[in-house]
Amino acid sequence: MAPIVKVSNLDKYFSLLHVLKDVSIEIQPREVVCLIGRSGSGKSTLLRCINFLEDPSRGTIEVDGIQVQVKNGTTREHRPQIHEIRLKTGMVFQEFNLFPHMTVLENVIEGPVTVKGMNRQEAVALGEENLDSVGMLFKKDEYPNRLSGGQKQRVAIARALTMQPRVMLFDEPTSALDPELIGEVLNVMKKVAKDGMTMLVVTHEMGFAREVADRVLVMADGEIVEAAKPETLFSKPKDPRTKALIDRYRTGGG
Amino acid sequence: MSTATQSEKGTGKTHVEMLHEAQLRKARDFRRNVSLSWGILFLILVYMFSGQSFLGLNTIQLDFDFIRKNLSFIAGGLGQTLLVSFLSITLATILALLAALGRLSKFPPFYALSTFYVSLIRGTPLYLQIFFFFLALPQVGIVLTGLIAGVIALGLNYGAYMSEIFRAGLESVGRGQREAAVALGMTPMQTMQRVILPQALRFAIPPIGNDFIAMTKDSALVSATGFVHEVMWRAIRVGRSQFKGLEALVMAALFYWVMTIILTYFQGIIEARLAKGDR
Ligand SMILES: Nc1ncnc2c1ncn2[C@@H]1O[C@H](COP(=O)(O)OP(=O)(O)OP(=O)(O)O)[C@@H](O)[C@H]1O
Ligand SMILES: [Mg+2]
Repeated sequence: MAPIVKVSNLDKYFSLLHVLKDVSIEIQPREVVCLIGRSGSGKSTLLRCINFLEDPSRGTIEVDGIQVQVKNGTTREHRPQIHEIRLKTGMVFQEFNLFPHMTVLENVIEGPVTVKGMNRQEAVALGEENLDSVGMLFKKDEYPNRLSGGQKQRVAIARALTMQPRVMLFDEPTSALDPELIGEVLNVMKKVAKDGMTMLVVTHEMGFAREVADRVLVMADGEIVEAAKPETLFSKPKDPRTKALIDRYRTGGG
Repeated sequence: MSTATQSEKGTGKTHVEMLHEAQLRKARDFRRNVSLSWGILFLILVYMFSGQSFLGLNTIQLDFDFIRKNLSFIAGGLGQTLLVSFLSITLATILALLAALGRLSKFPPFYALSTFYVSLIRGTPLYLQIFFFFLALPQVGIVLTGLIAGVIALGLNYGAYMSEIFRAGLESVGRGQREAAVALGMTPMQTMQRVILPQALRFAIPPIGNDFIAMTKDSALVSATGFVHEVMWRAIRVGRSQFKGLEALVMAALFYWVMTIILTYFQGIIEARLAKGDR
């Protein structure tokens, strides 16, 4: 099967800092991939390069057949392709980033209406369906500031889903949450995975990775140092850096 | 009070509730005493203009006949004052927004235009700017009506100062908001229109209200040109012609004062309404 996401030889520099070093990954349709690694290893940057929130310095990004090859850090000439890639990828942020001046429902239909030009009725129907599936339909006319962190993140997931993306990118979706609210968000993500969505998830939730991921990628110092099925990775880590990371989680470290 | 004591014993209010009530009472007393003091200060002010003599101190004698006769003439300028202020604040708001966007722009000419405008306007007196449009422009063949010249001068001036408000408003919108919009596929224009601006505007509305109130008073400066017949111009005109400058200015002052009190009241209502949907 052809991969739905293909990152080839990706390099990223922040001025002189080499953050991603010749990274290549492939994700198959319907696959759930978790990306783990220590703070500062480049996980967010990799995720953000895929939908061009960060401009890659060099390398090729391909999502669902749309390919962008960056040679020297400029993406200007690829604007139409980048727009298409953004339509095909939904993103969920650690800090939710809901629009505070819009109600829950308005947040969710904003993308389809403004970006895709979908008619309002259709967008509302789709939005309500997605809000229902994350269990947030009962708050549809509420403003985000009236929601708990877990509820905000579920709305953010519904907002991304309502764009009907092919791939969902999650950047530590539960890291900003109080411990007792993490479960409800992870449950929603499990459901999204079960519905067949392709997912790339940066997370520190090893339980989630073990249970849901088809594959776990380990990142260290801007490189993917190991990739394996979760059961293999957690029981028989090959790379010493993976080992160290897993030990840290075992002992309850972040 | 006795009923309160009863209920304290009867239903047994908690300590926290009693503290809360004491706090409310304190706040209420404070407000009442402030109002009372305001009333006294106001009466003293009125007394000072009463013409009475007290303990050998003479207070100011006003010619109430003059006041009565010219009240409607000076009041007739209120419309012009508000019109000038309203048009000027509208122009200022547009210019301020453009200047703020320019200031945050990565396009050098736009950035330069914005900083150039703000620097030039802030580096020269408002009084000079107003006369510039009346006296300097006609010399090169551009003659503007009094109203338009006044509005342009005030609008340009306030726009330069207000650009800071918009800059702060735009910067108050977090980076994550732009990223969320871009990730949804919004163009930079859509991101600005749908996500950034609405939040920045909400942030900017209270200070714009302040500036509007300040503008109603600064609009008096355009009276100096003699072409806009607002409150100040009328006061000076009747005051001079009948040697009743004191009465005329007291009347004008009262008009401005009452006007700002009313506008401040409405501003308070708008702010409270904005705060309700606040995050
Ligand atoms: N906008 C930026 N400008 C400069 N340096 C940056 C920027 N964003 C990230 N970096 C640097 O790039 C490196 C990788 O950052 P990244 O956010 O991708 O790490 P991460 O693996 O997501 O870490 P965390 O688990 O803390 O989120 C870090 O050293 C970081 O300081
Ligand atoms: Mg990160």
